[in-house]
Amino acid sequence: MSTSAVELLPSGAGDLSFLDVGGIEARSPLQLFWQRFRRDRVALVSLGFIVFLLIVAIAAPLVVSVLGLPGPDVQNLNLTDSFGSPLGPSWAHPFGVDQLGEDVMSRVIYGARVSLEVGIIGTGISTVIGVVVGMVAGFYRGWVDTLLSRFMDIVLSIPILLLGLGLGAACALRGCVKGLVQPGLATIIFIICIATWPYMGRIVRGLVLSMREREFVEASRALGASDMRIMFREILPNLTAPIIVYASLLIPTNILLEASLSFLGVGIHPPTPSWGAMIAQATPIFNTAWWFMVFPGLALLLTVLAFNLLGDGLQDALNPRNAQ
Amino acid sequence: MKSIRSVVAVVLAAGLALLLAACGSSSSSSGTGSSSSSTSSSSASAALSTGGYKSPLTEPLTGGKRGGTLNVLQEIDFEHLDPGIAYFSVDYAVVFATQRPLYSQKPNSTEESPDMAEGAPEISDGGKTVTVHLKEGIHFSPPVNREVTSEDVAYAIERGTNPDVANPYVGVYFKSIEGEPTDTTGAPMKGIETPNKHEIVFHLTEPKGQLVADALLLPLTAAVPKEYAEKFDKNKPSDYASYEVATGPYMLKNNSEGKVLGIGYIPGKSATLVRNPNWNPKTDFRPAYLNEIDVKIGGTSSVIGRQVLEGTNVVQNESSVAQPNIRLAAEKFKEQLEISPGGGDHYIGVNNVVGPFKSVDLRKALWAGLDRTALDKVKGGALVTNVATHFIYPTINGFEQAGGLKGPTGPRFDFNEHPEGDMAVAEKYIKLAGYPTGKYTGHELTTIVASTGDPFEEQAEIVQQTLKTLGFPVKLTLVETSTMYAKYCNVPKEEITVCPSVGWIADFADPFTVLDITFNGTAIVPTSNVNWGQTNVPKINAAMKAAENVVGKEARAKAWAKIDEELVEDAAAIPFDWDKQANIEGSDVNGVGDIWNVGEWDYSYTSLK
Repeated sequence: MSTSAVELLPSGAGDLSFLDVGGIEARSPLQLFWQRFRRDRVALVSLGFIVFLLIVAIAAPLVVSVLGLPGPDVQNLNLTDSFGSPLGPSWAHPFGVDQLGEDVMSRVIYGARVSLEVGIIGTGISTVIGVVVGMVAGFYRGWVDTLLSRFMDIVLSIPILLLGLGLGAACALRGCVKGLVQPGLATIIFIICIATWPYMGRIVRGLVLSMREREFVEASRALGASDMRIMFREILPNLTAPIIVYASLLIPTNILLEASLSFLGVGIHPPTPSWGAMIAQATPIFNTAWWFMVFPGLALLLTVLAFNLLGDGLQDALNPRNAQ
Repeated sequence: MKSIRSVVAVVLAAGLALLLAACGSSSSSSGTGSSSSSTSSSSASAALSTGGYKSPLTEPLTGGKRGGTLNVLQEIDFEHLDPGIAYFSVDYAVVFATQRPLYSQKPNSTEESPDMAEGAPEISDGGKTVTVHLKEGIHFSPPVNREVTSEDVAYAIERGTNPDVANPYVGVYFKSIEGEPTDTTGAPMKGIETPNKHEIVFHLTEPKGQLVADALLLPLTAAVPKEYAEKFDKNKPSDYASYEVATGPYMLKNNSEGKVLGIGYIPGKSATLVRNPNWNPKTDFRPAYLNEIDVKIGGTSSVIGRQVLEGTNVVQNESSVAQPNIRLAAEKFKEQLEISPGGGDHYIGVNNVVGPFKSVDLRKALWAGLDRTALDKVKGGALVTNVATHFIYPTINGFEQAGGLKGPTGPRFDFNEHPEGDMAVAEKYIKLAGYPTGKYTGHELTTIVASTGDPFEEQAEIVQQTLKTLGFPVKLTLVETSTMYAKYCNVPKEEITVCPSVGWIADFADPFTVLDITFNGTAIVPTSNVNWGQTNVPKINAAMKAAENVVGKEARAKAWAKIDEELVEDAAAIPFDWDKQANIEGSDVNGVGDIWNVGEWDYSYTSLK
């Protein structure tokens, strides 16, 4: 809803004609954001690509069926030559096939599911943990801050790929953490959450440290608001923009981390398609089957690029001062 | 059983070897002491065929040009170059060029030829004594220089029991020597006697003379000079390898004190073999054409392969050449590709004790339903595989008697008749197992644990797909090869249902070394277990015990072939691949590989054009 400045003033407030700027409408923060965001063509294209990718991932069975492709785990060794090398792109298999005669395009499409699930769910969980821990640390300061900050430092010092390899091996067959973490996607998300929540936590902590000294927080405190209310009803809404921006940049990081872990053989197991695992499987035969590496690699590249560019666009739109 | 662990991943590690043939031996009347392959029939010939490509069976062993330096590129480092410890195919390539055991094999044969020995071993005293006479005129390389005596052979074997040497198979093949294995200190064995400088006698506690005689071709019997090596063997672990001397045509380059480490062998980087100045060709059948062999360690197998194919005086020494390079060689560098049969076998271990496959009918159903040609195709197809139809593989005595390429046939073996898979037969056996729909409708989860890497992942996926098609709920886990063996498939209590990446390679060509430890129920152990399916059929166990003492090559072939047939009928495991090894060489190399040692290059026969 747009409202002119004059309408907002009480009647009989004197001569306020000087305030009538005629025709100029106030805009909500969302409108302002959108106005700025839509000027960024690159970010818009990235958003479009991500939406497209989401639709393709959600409707993967339908997309594969419409394209007339076999399912992602349909093996057909007749599509390999006498040496067992896969055949290249053709009309029937536009991205070629792999060593088992599975359609690469079909697997790339289904692979989007894994990447987006890991990217979005992993980021979501990391963000929640990071925001809560960061807020508590920044708000309470003192020994709580010291304890939580050092804990974040410790977590950040863990070599994540080595941790991933270790956890992947430990959880490989029967799960770990008393069965809470089962092999496969859950293991990957678990590892990603461990790895990335402190980044969000540190950013939030820093913001809260400065924000807790602001007047509106003082006012809330003076009115008798509880700590929880101040943190989550007063401060948190003011952190929305940086959290959104940072989460959008965390998604491609997590997608790459999933690809790396799958490349190293941790987590996503066949026949579930994963871009990282596909690239790993393609490596030894790249000489003779370039398509098996190039197409999942391109999918990964474009997806990560799109999320990164979208993150930049969000950053610019939500925080124009930084953009300038 | 020798480890070719890296890529072929046939065996885990030394640990399993300790358990290798825990029970039994072969025996025969005195004679050659050989257990050789039966390669004369047409089926065997077909199994040994390499599709027109060069093969150790067709390569001339004489007439090569003398001189020159051969460059060897290999991705992986050696494990042990000490002849008392070495148990890996890549190590053996160097060990057999630098050391002379009592007996050895020519590249194109699995027959034992007297090497340091003067003639065949003499087995007497009802199989409880083995006597070997040594040639005169064999000398150690510098700095030892003196002539080899029987005491050097005795010390070589005795030090194998030294825990700081820890030979992986001395407790398997030589355990019947008096004083072993209780005396595992490396001290002199009561049962090894050296009446004179050129005679060594083994006194055994059991009539296992044939097994001991067969095992005398292993590098443990290569002479080691006690007065020189003892001080190194006192270190924990022994560092004799860093100062080792040679008896073969080549030696690792060393300095005047004999130090090899950092000179002739730089771990992770290189090894340099030069001529042994004390080697006397009149005492040896090896031609030893080359002057020097320079081994460069490191790089990536697929890159190395291209360098070799486009290079000149160079070969690749690898457990397994990358599949794209085999294809490239087959298509564009045909003259530079050699295929060696007899690279061992691979089969699918199915748990006979726990899970759905305790039912023999369900095991047969899986066997029938599997497309074994597909499993072989993802490895590289017919060029590097034969579709396996039973367990005794080509080059092993008894292969032909066990059915040759076709394997056992007839109504009892209908599940084995269609290597490309037959779902109708599979459904028949599922019905026989008590599932009237022809699909498995039970709820027991089938856990598959397979190796990562090419082609094991693809093979595991084929098995997984077949199981799903047959109705089995499946969970596939991929882990590193070493983890697959050590943590899962070699540990019965893990109760893994299916291990599709396991395989086996014999130390010598007697079928005992292929079937006994892998399928004898008495050999099942809690860890490092290589009877992967935990096959424990009393009738088969008894047949093995009897076959161990069968006398004569043909008789042994028949006895073990019968056991092989019983294992197939029991579907104890599902064989799918008799391996062939592909070797590649530069354009001016006359490489000669072995039909044993997984088909690795034999530097003592290789020459430059």
